[in-house]
Order: sequence, then C-alpha cells, then structure tokens
Amino acid sequence: MEKKQQVQKMALRDTTGDKIFYTINAIFLGILALIVLYPLYFIVIAAISDPDAVLAGDVVLYPVRITMEGFAKIMERKDVWLGYRNTIFYTILTVILSIIVTVPAGWALSRKTLPGQKAFMIYFIIPMFFGGGLIPFYNVMSSLKLVNTIWAIVLPAILSVWNLFMTKTFFQSSIPDTLIEAATIDGAGSFRIFGEVVLPLSKAIIAVMALYYAVGQWNSYFNAMIFLQNENLYPLQLVLKEILIASESTVGGSGETILQQYRLANQLKYVSVIVSSVPVLMLYPFVQKYFAQGVMIGSLKG
Amino acid sequence: MSEVVLKGLKKVYDNKVTAVHDVNLEIKDKEFIVLVGPSGCGKSTTLRMVAGLEEISDGELYIDGKLVNDVPPKDRDIAMVFQNYALYPHKTVYDNLAFALKLRKEPKDVIDKKVREVAEILDITQYLKRKPKALSGGQRQRVAIGRAMVRDPKVFLMDEPLSNLDAKLRNQMRAEIIKLRSRINTTFMYVTHDQTEAMTLGDRIVIMKDGYVNQIGTPQEVFNKPVNLFVAGFIGMPVMNFFDHCQVLLENGKYYAQIRGVKFLLDDFQQKALAQNNVQPCEIVAGIRPQHVTVGEGELTAKIEVSEMMGSEYNIHARSGDDEVVMLIPTVDLTADVSMGKTINFTTRPSLIQLFDRESGNNLIWYDAESAAKDAPVCKRYDF
Amino acid sequence: METKAAKPAAPAKVRAPKKRMTKEKRIRYFKDNSPYLLMILPAVIVVFLFNYLPIYGVLIAFQDFMPGDKILSDSTIWVGFENFERFFSDPQFWPLMKFVIGFPLPIIVSLMLNAMKGRKTAKVLQTIFNGPHFISLVVLVGMLTLFFGRYGLVNNIAAHFGGERYSYFLESSAFRPMYILSSNWQDFGWSAIIYIAALSNVDPQQHEAAILDGATRFQRVIHVDLPAIMPMVSVMLIMSIGGLMGVGYEKALLMQTDGNLAVSELISTYVYKRGLTGVPDQAYATAIGLFNSIINVVLLIIANTTSKKFSENSLW
Repeated sequence: MEKKQQVQKMALRDTTGDKIFYTINAIFLGILALIVLYPLYFIVIAAISDPDAVLAGDVVLYPVRITMEGFAKIMERKDVWLGYRNTIFYTILTVILSIIVTVPAGWALSRKTLPGQKAFMIYFIIPMFFGGGLIPFYNVMSSLKLVNTIWAIVLPAILSVWNLFMTKTFFQSSIPDTLIEAATIDGAGSFRIFGEVVLPLSKAIIAVMALYYAVGQWNSYFNAMIFLQNENLYPLQLVLKEILIASESTVGGSGETILQQYRLANQLKYVSVIVSSVPVLMLYPFVQKYFAQGVMIGSLKG
Repeated sequence: MSEVVLKGLKKVYDNKVTAVHDVNLEIKDKEFIVLVGPSGCGKSTTLRMVAGLEEISDGELYIDGKLVNDVPPKDRDIAMVFQNYALYPHKTVYDNLAFALKLRKEPKDVIDKKVREVAEILDITQYLKRKPKALSGGQRQRVAIGRAMVRDPKVFLMDEPLSNLDAKLRNQMRAEIIKLRSRINTTFMYVTHDQTEAMTLGDRIVIMKDGYVNQIGTPQEVFNKPVNLFVAGFIGMPVMNFFDHCQVLLENGKYYAQIRGVKFLLDDFQQKALAQNNVQPCEIVAGIRPQHVTVGEGELTAKIEVSEMMGSEYNIHARSGDDEVVMLIPTVDLTADVSMGKTINFTTRPSLIQLFDRESGNNLIWYDAESAAKDAPVCKRYDF
Repeated sequence: METKAAKPAAPAKVRAPKKRMTKEKRIRYFKDNSPYLLMILPAVIVVFLFNYLPIYGVLIAFQDFMPGDKILSDSTIWVGFENFERFFSDPQFWPLMKFVIGFPLPIIVSLMLNAMKGRKTAKVLQTIFNGPHFISLVVLVGMLTLFFGRYGLVNNIAAHFGGERYSYFLESSAFRPMYILSSNWQDFGWSAIIYIAALSNVDPQQHEAAILDGATRFQRVIHVDLPAIMPMVSVMLIMSIGGLMGVGYEKALLMQTDGNLAVSELISTYVYKRGLTGVPDQAYATAIGLFNSIINVVLLIIANTTSKKFSENSLW
C-alpha cells in the first residue's frame, strides 16, 4: 500500500517537473519568436507612420499618424523599379539555366555506370573547400569578357556544387534502381529514361533547386557590385545598398544636418525594405515545406 | 522455340568478389525453371545477367540459339517482373502496360488491343486509369506481370515477385502464376528464396549456394535425391533431421546404416548404388525427413519436448541424445501417446535414409561428381 | 571413398579472344553510358570556368603582376614568395587574424522545438524562425543601420530612459556584437532545420522506453534527443571550422565604416580592397587570398582528424 502511494507520488512529481519544463520551453520559444518578429513588424509600422513620429521615437508598438507618403515616394524612384525589373530578369534567367545545368548533372552523377564517376565526384568536391579567391575570379571574368554584362551576374550563379550534390542525393535516395532497370528492359534509352521516368518524379527537387537559386540570385549584391559599372544593369540589391547603407557610412557634419538627412531618407528606407523583401517573404510560407525538404535531402549522407 | 543456355556464366565484381561461379544450365523451351537459395547465393545476379542488367564477366549466354552476351536488354526479347514491382508511379496502369510497346513504335490500335487483352486476363481492366499508388499490393503485382506479358517475350524473368506480399496473398498469387503459365506458354526463369515456391512452381529447380549451383533437378529429384547436406536441408519443410557421427557398415557384403547404435539394413537399390560407388565403411551424417518418421515402433528413442497438434498431423519436437528430432505424424496413423515429456520409440524405412559423407557432405548415393561444380566449397554441415 | 574419377577439365579458354572481348565491352560500356557524360558536361564546364580557372589564376600570387598581363608568358616575372613575405610583415597582418565564432543556438532551438507539446505551434514557430533567412544581406544591414543608427529605434529607447545617443556603426567595439547577433537572428532557425530533420527520425519507441524507465522530458532531451543529433553537430562543426576565416565578407563589407575598420577589416575584405579598389595590387591581394584558403583547408583537415580521433564522426 505504501509502495503504491510512493509510485503515484513519483508519477505526480514527474508530471509537475515536465509541466515546468514544457512551460519554460514555451516561454523561451515565445520570446524568441518575438525577437524574430518585432524588427520585421517595426519596419512595417515605421514605413506607414509619420517620419517625424518615427524619428522622435513615438512609434514603438503601433503606427502613428498613418501615411502612405513613403510608398508614393518610392513609386517615383526610377532606379528602384529598374533594379526590380533587372533582378526579376536575372532571377528567371538564373533559375532556368541552373535547372538545365544542375538536374541532368545530378542525375548523371548519381549513376554508378557514369564513366569516371569517382573522378567527377572529386572534381566537384575540390571547389567546395578550395578556391582561387576573389582576384583570380575577377581576372577570369574579365578575360572571358563578361565584366559589365548581365552574364557576369548570371553565369557564375547557375551552378552551386552544394545544390548539385543535393540533387544527386535526392536521385539516389528516391528513385529506385529497379525502376530504371524496368525502363531499360522496356527498351528506353538513357535520355528517354531521364525525360520520361526520372524528371516526372523529380518535381520536388526541381522546385527546391529553383527556389534555392532564385533566392540566392534575388538577394545577391556582391558580384553585381564588382562586375557592373553600367547603372542600367544594376540589380535591386545594389540600388538598395545605395539607399540603405551608402549614406550611413558617409555620415558627417553637424547633428542638425544629420537629423535633416534622416528625416528625408528614413521613410524611404523603411519602405524600400518592405518593397524589396515582400516577394520573397510572401512566397516563403507557401514553399517552406520544399525548402525544408531540400535541407533534409541534403542532410542524408550520400 | 526459346531455350536459354547458360555456359560457364560467371560474375566478378571489381575483379575481386566472385558472386557467381561457373553456372551451367540449359533451359528448355517453355520450361519453368526456379533458381532458389539463401540470400547472397548468386541467384538474382544470375537472373540479372540473363536480363542484361549485369555485365557477364565470363562465359556465354544463348537465348534461342543466339549469343546475347553483348546484346542490350531491350533486344534480348525478355521481360522481367521485379520484387518491388518497379511500376512507373507517375503513369497510369494503362500507360505502364503500354510503355514498352510505345517505345517499340507499335501502332496505337495494336497497343490498345494488347493492353486490354492482358488487362482482361489479369482482371485489372477496371484499374487501367488509376495510378499504381491507388492499387493494393496484389493489384500492383498483377500490373507488373502484365507489363511483362504485353511484350510476348521469349523469356519471362521473375525476381522474387511474391516476397513483398503477405502470406495469404502470396499463396493466391502463386496459384495465379501457375494458371498464367498454362495460358502464356513461354520460358520462365523465376528467382526465390522460398523453397515452397520453388517446389510448387518449378519444372526444374536450381539450388544455389555461395555462387555455386549445388543441384539441378525436378522437385521430386531434389526432394528425394539431394546431392549434399545443403540441398537436403534447404529443400523440405520442416527441415530434414540430421544425425551426426553415424556409420555405414559393410558386413558379409551387405551395407548397413548405423544410427545411434541401431543398425538398418539398406534396401536393394541402395546396396547396388553403394557397391557401384565402391563405398567403404565410414563415418556419415544420416538424414531422415520428418515426414518419414514412424513412431511407436523401432529401437530409436526420443523424449518429446514439444507436441503441436496441427489438425491433420502432429508436429513433434523431441530430443534423442544430442540431436533434436522433428517428426510429422499424420493424426490418423498415431497410436502412441505423444504428450510432452513422454519417451517414445521411433524408426523409419531404411530406403528413406539419406547417407552423407561426413568429410565432404556429399550424398553417398546421389552425388554426381560430373555435373557438380568442381571447386564448390565443402558443405560439412547443414548451415546457412 | 574415392567415388568417381574426375573428368578431364574443360579446355581452358583461349586467351586472345577474351582480351578482345573485354576491349569491346569497354567500348560498349562507354557507348551505353555516354549520354550521362553529355548530361554532366554543362556542369563540368561551369565549374571549370568559374572554379578551376581561378585556381589556375592563383599563380599570379608568385609573380610581379600588372592587370592586363598574361598569367604565363615569356615576360612573366616570377618573384617566389615575395608577396607572402610582404603580407606577413604588413602591419595589417596580425589585426586581420581574427574570425567570428557561431553560437550553438540552432541546436538548442531544434531540441526545444522538438520537445514542444503542440505540434502545430511548433510548426508555426519554425516557420517564423526560418523567415529572416530570406532577407538579403543588404536589407539586413540596412535594417541594422535603421535600428542602431544615431536616431534609430535603439537610441530612441535609450534616450527615452535617459541614456546617451551612441553611433554604433562608428564604434569598433559594437561591430562584433552587431555582426554576431544579427547573423544569429537571421539564420538560427534555418540552421536548426537540419537538426530538426535528424530529430524527426528518432524512433518514438526510444522515448517510450525512456518514459517507462522514469525519465522526465528534460532527461529525455539530454539522453535521447541530443545523442541523436550529435553526429550532425560534429559534421556541422567541422564544416564551420573549415570556413572559419572565410566568414561573411559580403556582410562585413556592408557594415564597414571608417569608424569600425579596426575590427571589421577581415582578410577577405582586405583582399577586395587591395585587389579591386584604389590602386589595385592584384598579385599581393591574390597572395593574401591564397594564404587564407590554405589556412582554411588546414583548419578543416585538423578539425576532421580531431573529430575522427575522438568520435566516430568525420567528413571523410
């Protein structure tokens, strides 16, 4: 009788312990969620509030004196829209080319019968850990006559070795060998097998790759910065860099002028952050499962 | 006519591991041949060499009299059914069946006619528009068989086609394959690890172990005339009882088998065969099938450990000295008390005793050195 | 026991035709699989152009190189390790030897998310945590300047409580915390995915067995969940050590101001400045970059060997 009670007591104590654990866990994660969300939320409320109120620090939890002035201002910025158009174009081009390059190569690399498969693997692994560095890269681009063309932005971005290996692992783990053997016996050649059997079964990996490459291209600025001089070719991120950051590092003069600068520029900054990030952030929840799937595929050792 | 001839077929991986040693096999037209053995015995590799999915390292393969070593699978006029069905998940059942014909550029109406014909035979007509995902295991299996059938192949290859099904469905499909066979009338090569499947389906059975063929024969032959300990143990359910450290004796020109001190005078056929092989008295392993044991008489004794009433028969596990003895006794024949813990007498007919040489594991009567693989490893005990 | 006389062995196969066969086979094998070569070709070319050609271009690190020179020609002036020696005696050398270390936040977050009661809530939280990953570096640094600028949110709040306004971007001491915290903010959720995937593969029966053994949820996190992701943790650790000195120059470059240069100048940003801006000294910049790459490879090898020695986990 005594023993039974003790067991009950223990079980009870355990649940209390677990309850405390679950509560602390939830609180911690909740705080973390706030830390993630608040800056994003603040950008939104700051963008639609009176810039004076933002500067004065009145905008903290909700928008003050709502105004769409900032959005009107950005509509007038030709460079932003040109950058937008360029980025969309670069992104689409990159995605199309990258799929054409990555997916067939991933398939070939996943085949044991690929002549020299091991050599190819080593060929692709080396650049993951060792590279020539920035200057030789720049010189190669310049001797290929790509500097100041859109190809300097697109071509280096159409193959990521990581993505290639992820694709290879996907094919290895999710397309059964016997399916390919059955198609061989049915009389299909390598290209037909790829086109009629493998590709229809690879929608997930194609989606993941397209999204990876698209986000990568959409968000990149560095190659554009070093390779493009023609402002008409500038992608959105480069335009944003000028709006958002360039002014900050050249801040000088007396406090009053700084304040004046802020008044004029700040609203535009908040708005441009929203305008540039919305397409990606809006898309993200819908495609999240694919992204996560991609990482999981990659995490399988292959 | 579509015979398949395997001449010294050999598979070596990366110049190191030999998966298949020297398989010689002549499959007659319209014969149903079953390759059976434990996993890793090389049976699937052999089948895949015939299919053209594995490079043949050495030896020759003839289909219909034509050397096909270097012929790609699609031109070998074979069809194959895979263990996991290997249906195209994104195609409907109809398109799965039609794919091979489409690739052969057959006219549309011919394809349609053939697909519907086959679907009719296999009773899958109502599923033609579905995708494989929407089918049960048994239905998928039919589609897989159908995909092979539409091509009218010379040789029908099946790689463990039933092992993904549950026991009940497996029995059902096995019966269907037998029916199917009488309808499509072609040469079959069938791989399985299940001896029951092999016994019920095969015209002839090829028993393999460690890449070597141990015996080729009809179900009766491999059951009644096993060439060595391995075949004896692998074929038959429950497994044959083996009594180690027994003797063959030769007294007054007559051969005796001595099991646990009890002498059995062998019958005329055995006498003749042993004499012909010039067998001298020696240590043997004696084998008696559970079905061949009679209880309640004889001088051998055993203590019953487990006694299972299976309806038409009793399945008795008993201990006789160091040996465990399994006996399968028809209920109607049973007069003795076979409850647990009882000690019973048992015996068998001498003609049913299998005699295996202790050194080589070969059957003293049925082992045929001419047809056996030369360098096959010795199977000293029944183990796999 | 001598049973039957062994029959004479079949005549040994003639050697010559067999050899011919294997050659034929090799040709056929190649022909059968040549489509794969065609499929892999574009990727091979892209990697060759943008990864291997630059590796070849590294040769200029050992030359007296002027922009426009050919990498190998009669007039090439080889200077051996002069460029490297210059770098080692550069007053910038020691200040550049720094790196940024991550924080195990993703591991903790993945364990906590996995230990959450409500599956749906966990999913929503994960979606929120992943969000910042998709913000571009330019926007992220832009946000930092907005929040930490002299008249940004942080200073406004500080001022409200009577604090002093502070130009974070002009202070060396603020660079590193801002850099690390913003990186964590942006990527902890994303980095956690890989661990969450590993955790979802843990057999629930292992948890049930632990419950029957009397383990609390917290104990199960420590004794069941954590061991399940340890292999992944070591692999990620090795990878991050390999990339230690190559961290995020794109971001550092964006965050750089004259005020924080002492801390924000990394090897990679220095390479950019010396090689592509002002009066470029490409050979020197390449030498520095090469030095950096080599250090990274060495670090990677050391990390991998160490990990191999003390645990079962390694990259190769």
